[in-house]
Amino acid sequence: MTRERIVSLRNPWFTRSVGITAAIAIVAAVVGFVWLPLQHPGERFKSVWDAICSAAGLVRNAAPGTQIVRADYPTTRVEIDPQMLSGASAESIGRGATLALRCTMCHGARGLSQADTPNLAGQYPVAIYKELLDFKTGARVSAIMAPLVADLSDADMRDLAAYYAYLPRVTSSGAAAGEAPPIVTSGAPLRSIAPCGACHGEVDSKASAAWLEGQPAVYLRTQLEAFASGARRNDIGEQMRNVARGMTAAEIDAASEFYARAQ
Amino acid sequence: MTHLSTSDEGADHGEQTERRWAAVAVAILVLLVVMATFAALYHGAMPQSRVETADPRTLHLGGEFIESNLGSALEPDGTVTVRFIGQQYSFTPSCILVPTDTPVTFRVTSADVVHGFLIDGTNINLMLVPGYISSLGARFETPGERLMPCHEFCSVGHEGMWGRIKIIDKAAFSRMAAERRRLSCVE
Amino acid sequence: MWNSRRLVLAHLWFAFASFGAALPLGEWQMFIRSPLHPWISDPEWYYRSVTAHGTTMAYVFPTLVAMGFGYFVTEQALRRPMVGLRWAWLGFALVVVGTIAAIVPVALGRASVLYTFYPPLIGHPSYYIGIVLVVVGSWVWVALMSINMYRWKRDNPGAPVPFPMFATVAGSYLWAWTAVGAALELLFQIIPVALGLRDTIDAGLARVFFSWTLHAIVYFWLMPAYIAYYTIVPRAIGGRLFSDTMGRIAFILFLVVAMPIGIHHAFEDPQIGSGFKYLHSVVTAVVALPTVLTVFTICASVEIAGRLRGGKGVLGWLAALPWRNPVMLGAALSFVMLGFGGAGGLINMSYQLNATVHNTQWITGHFHLIFAGAIVIMYFVIAYDIWPHLTGRTLDSFGLMRAQLWTWFIGMIVLTFPWHWVGILGMPRRMAFYDYTDPAIAPQALSVTMSVIGGAILVISGVLFFIVLVRGQTTLRTEPAVYRFSVAVRPPRTLPAALNGFGLWLGLMVALTIVNYGFPIAHSLATPGTAVPAVKVGERW
Repeated sequence: MTRERIVSLRNPWFTRSVGITAAIAIVAAVVGFVWLPLQHPGERFKSVWDAICSAAGLVRNAAPGTQIVRADYPTTRVEIDPQMLSGASAESIGRGATLALRCTMCHGARGLSQADTPNLAGQYPVAIYKELLDFKTGARVSAIMAPLVADLSDADMRDLAAYYAYLPRVTSSGAAAGEAPPIVTSGAPLRSIAPCGACHGEVDSKASAAWLEGQPAVYLRTQLEAFASGARRNDIGEQMRNVARGMTAAEIDAASEFYARAQ
Repeated sequence: MTHLSTSDEGADHGEQTERRWAAVAVAILVLLVVMATFAALYHGAMPQSRVETADPRTLHLGGEFIESNLGSALEPDGTVTVRFIGQQYSFTPSCILVPTDTPVTFRVTSADVVHGFLIDGTNINLMLVPGYISSLGARFETPGERLMPCHEFCSVGHEGMWGRIKIIDKAAFSRMAAERRRLSCVE
Repeated sequence: MWNSRRLVLAHLWFAFASFGAALPLGEWQMFIRSPLHPWISDPEWYYRSVTAHGTTMAYVFPTLVAMGFGYFVTEQALRRPMVGLRWAWLGFALVVVGTIAAIVPVALGRASVLYTFYPPLIGHPSYYIGIVLVVVGSWVWVALMSINMYRWKRDNPGAPVPFPMFATVAGSYLWAWTAVGAALELLFQIIPVALGLRDTIDAGLARVFFSWTLHAIVYFWLMPAYIAYYTIVPRAIGGRLFSDTMGRIAFILFLVVAMPIGIHHAFEDPQIGSGFKYLHSVVTAVVALPTVLTVFTICASVEIAGRLRGGKGVLGWLAALPWRNPVMLGAALSFVMLGFGGAGGLINMSYQLNATVHNTQWITGHFHLIFAGAIVIMYFVIAYDIWPHLTGRTLDSFGLMRAQLWTWFIGMIVLTFPWHWVGILGMPRRMAFYDYTDPAIAPQALSVTMSVIGGAILVISGVLFFIVLVRGQTTLRTEPAVYRFSVAVRPPRTLPAALNGFGLWLGLMVALTIVNYGFPIAHSLATPGTAVPAVKVGERW
């Protein structure tokens, strides 16, 4: 038997299969890259070439149609990267400890507050850093914090974040907290409330979300109410305002009390 | 139909049946493709016509996805542009307001991971991929309120990511648009 | 001659054991998100279970079945000892190690990213590395299939490669190329980030790579089932294969067009140009062709059996078929599910209709009906058919086998039909719970409850399957007759070179891939600023 050559114009299997494949690809390409794009509603291409480029997926950012509406209040300027501030150096923590001396009055000597101010010991560094920056830019309004952060540099805030993140948290005994209320464990799906722990650490943590367990109930309640009313709006993309707005007063109480007990 | 004979005659008959079947199969598939193509042409049901990018890290710092610019905007030509973002685990605005009988363009992006959304009872369905802007044209006929869930796994809070869309009468929408430049049904 | 017996048994036992472990997870997921169970207090467990179920059922189980069955076919079809037995054991070991490496972090809740990965979500690196090992292990199998076929061809110049081997090699090549997309995504995008070498990842590009794998992997799962349709079913019911040539063409078509169509999974994605979406939609239509050809060839082959058994008239041959034979029954039930699933698939491939169902429970229903239904039921049939040749003991619980196949079929219908329905109603996939008290969702509660019942029937069927196999270990040892595959009505004496090898088809496959994927990938790589921060999961407290 003579060896049959496959790649040969005399082999009908070769010519037909390549021909049919090419024909399908060409017809589909003409329809998909030229004809359909030119018929696209709400899209005026300058030329056939323009249509082909768009259909091929070249990046073409549209000119902004209407004017962009700017906020008449300061919004957060912090750019969050989930990996930021990980792996702080001992020097950074040391510098943070020195800077933290001015915070002890309210936040406690070891980051554990006796008043109704937040405990900072073991807090996620991104959360501390972001809030400090927001106090400084005015995105988060506080008559007490604003003057205290006014002279802090970016490096100072990173050091403070590193120091407080390094301090040990209040130890959790779990049992003391009792059963978590439904709003904490399950949220309320159709009010767009995810379980609190999905971002705040019990299930998973989302960069810039804070650790809540052991925080004073008064503080938590005040913040949730501020998010709900719009008095506080330094959350990026309204992520907390969306949640707090949907919560009932009873749910705000239940969540605040639960987290205050859970330490 | 088929023959058991292994003689050439029987086999030829079998091959003929086979070819006819293959031809019918090809014809059905061609018809399906043609139908899909014409549906695209006459109902304007096509994927977005251009690829656009947006940096999820800086959406809130500037550009069309800053929070004060989100929501529904009435354009000078009478159409409506709806801008919103998806993030772990909500849409902002979490309640979208649109008028009836008006061409609506959705412009949506993600601030963190992959999300998606669909609007119940419609064929509005988009993926949100961080880094890119998803867009889609739509038109709503009947007023009402519909659910708008995130339909792509976006980590552990995915089950809590449900937005809403409220479709209101065109005239009422215009009146509201005269007072505020960006509308939503967030209360 | 028969020296891969233990190898094949090891593959199939590990495959079915992993299947047995992952099956109840599916039912548990169905139950806890149904109205029958209160909302789960820690949703992460739900996603952890989905990840384990998907990873096992999509990557481990079918890959091992394809590998084990492939080794079986190699010796039985070529009628000579397999080359490379040691390498085959190495491949098996890689799959086992990979499976363990992947499942441990999943079980610990460190990689609840679902089997489709979803970057920029990033789990524990061991999960991804484990999956890469599974794939590498399967590539050893691909190489062995190819080597064995080419050695045989060299020793039998001009002779047609036996059809079962031809089809198996086609399936192995399909897998080799299909897996490349996910492998690129894992090796160059995800694993460097998971190991902390990089902090950003291009999620859009990752979705393009994954679509490369995601659609054609279904055809890889399908291959053992299709090989069984062609090479086991006609023989087992006393018929002939209607056409050897048509079978080869069907497998060749799968090889060429199954892969470069994956972007139809990304119709609603923003990062891909509309032209490529259309192109992929058209080629997706072509991939329906080999299935339609298969339906014809197998129906004709079965008709031959019916007529040989004395069936007369237009439909009389149907009554004459050996319905009590598990192979006949399994194949028929598989065809019914393939018919429903295929019809659903035609809807998914159309851009407009897809928009109504994209990412809803419809999709879950669709791929369960095709894969867990039509395909897995054929895995059972394959096991029932070849088990006696592996263990040297007969499987004689025919009543149990029939009950098992029927319960699998009924369970799958009861599970997936309601899923399709709630998908049309707009129910999104993969949520740990739903608020059935809302009037907009309340109508879905009944359908979801039905799916729970379907899942329970499937678990029972799975138990029956293991009972059949275990009972088969207690029967008397017999030397089974020589294993035979179906013989064609007209076995080919010679074949055109194009139908006796893969050179041309591999060339077309690669060329079509470059046309359909080359530009989207290249463009995505060349576009600066599309990489986004990775979001690591599984770090509590």
